[in-house]
Amino acid sequence: MREIIKHRPGKAYLLVLLLGIIGMLYMVRHFDRKILVFGILPLPFFAGICFLTILAVAHLIYAFKYWPYR
Amino acid sequence: MITVIIISIFGLLILLLSIFGYKISARTPEDYMLASRGIGITVMFFFVLFAISSAWTFYGYPGFLYQHGVFYVYFIWGAVVSFACLYMFLGPRLWAIARLNNFLSPIEIVAERYNSRALRIIVSLIMLAFIVPYIGIQPLGVGLGFKALTGISPVFGIVYATVLLIIIVFLGGMRTTAWVNVLLGTIYTVAFLGSLVWVINRVFPGGLREAVNVVESNFPALYVAPGPQGYFRPSIIGGALIVGLMGFAWPHVVMATLTAQDKSVFKWVPLLALVVGGLGFYTIPFLWGGIVAPAISHMEGTLVPPMLGLEADNVVQTIITQYLPGWFAGFVLIGVIAAAVSTAAVQLMTSAIFVSRDLIYGGLGKKMRPEQMVFVTKLAVIGLILLALVVALQYRMALALYLTKIAVPGFAQWATLLIGAILWRRSTRQGALCGILGGTAYLVAGYFYPPIVFHLENPLIPALVLNIILFVVVSLLTPPPDSETIHRFYDEVDEYLEQA
Repeated sequence: MREIIKHRPGKAYLLVLLLGIIGMLYMVRHFDRKILVFGILPLPFFAGICFLTILAVAHLIYAFKYWPYR
Repeated sequence: MITVIIISIFGLLILLLSIFGYKISARTPEDYMLASRGIGITVMFFFVLFAISSAWTFYGYPGFLYQHGVFYVYFIWGAVVSFACLYMFLGPRLWAIARLNNFLSPIEIVAERYNSRALRIIVSLIMLAFIVPYIGIQPLGVGLGFKALTGISPVFGIVYATVLLIIIVFLGGMRTTAWVNVLLGTIYTVAFLGSLVWVINRVFPGGLREAVNVVESNFPALYVAPGPQGYFRPSIIGGALIVGLMGFAWPHVVMATLTAQDKSVFKWVPLLALVVGGLGFYTIPFLWGGIVAPAISHMEGTLVPPMLGLEADNVVQTIITQYLPGWFAGFVLIGVIAAAVSTAAVQLMTSAIFVSRDLIYGGLGKKMRPEQMVFVTKLAVIGLILLALVVALQYRMALALYLTKIAVPGFAQWATLLIGAILWRRSTRQGALCGILGGTAYLVAGYFYPPIVFHLENPLIPALVLNIILFVVVSLLTPPPDSETIHRFYDEVDEYLEQA
């Protein structure tokens, strides 16, 4: 963690994580309506799928290009 | 009869694996407790995934989705991200500190960092208080499965799971626990996914879309907050995400970071956790509890009418028993036993280490030879499982509620001092003691007298806020740690992580 916040890619990675969590909390306001994405995925589930996908991509880029514990 | 044969073969397989693990073990505390710090990427991932995915994943989680609405999935999203963050942000330093100093438990790390024997005893007792009932819940879950499938007394399932647990942990230690977790997890996934696909094919020829249409038409409240029983207000849903995000403090998961073979584990496990764990494995119980089970219960001519309360924990097993052949239901039960045992074994192993290494050796100062420490840890295994069963039988509650309302808030109380110990040089012993004692006392008081936690459904957030404030303020008001501690826990670790 100390190594991660010392460089810019690490800060960007943390920012993605933070924005993802804020986005997830923001989505809650839409749960009082029935929204089924693609006709089968309830919104709370779909929101999480998007959140994890974004984090996985961010991790892939950060860990394999800017990994601080070489 | 077929169920008895399957269960017997499964038990024999576990016994053989444990005996093999015992034969190849080195009989040293490091080998018994940490698998000689030799767990690689693949085993580590499955070890942690199935340490987390207990009988709760099969009973409690889908049961809660089924009964209260799909919003409980927010807890899972939080937990998956939290476990990835543990391996990404805290894992490398925990691993390096433990390696450099030959520490055998994460509580030993924080106690040495804060140079406090009192803290070691306090943290051990608090973690044990919250983890022991959770261990006991797992065999109870197996007992429920036995009853749903065969109609026989749950006592049989409880005894069976308990014996398996003792065999794995007593004989094999952490290495066998990790290996067995991979095997058990595979069985669990096949049973869980296989039953889902089979039930969908048999009951809903139109696939998931047909199941969703049934829920939409006959039970629409499941997909609209606050859910059928009005439970999921926006604050509860957001709270579920935050409770999930505290998953990094689960002691048995933190413990696993110390067993890593090298630092590449911390690069791969977060990715696997997000993709294979979050997007893959945890989709299965969601589809069960959020779509398939409620659709079956609310369709015409159902064999499984709506189930409520503690009964809802049993809905997946009941559907499998009603709609699939007996032999497959028996196989699924093996999957549930695998899930329960894989989690409880890691929890039991971790708790026993806290008792022998942290309470008796480090806390009470009882000197032990290495082989004595292994022996005491094994004795603790037996004592703890018996205690766990007594507690779990005495205070029965829904699996989902125990995990999110009691276990996770309790585990979260050492999160601040754990993060402080490895990341914040200015954190002090006094701050750590005030934080954990104040936060835990407030949490427990909130269970008995809800007005002091503002009648919140989950008292984690106010208790954690108090914990953090006390930790930070008291740390800043007390003298900083000496330079030797700073060098040992930060500078040396920085150098080691660069070179190792």
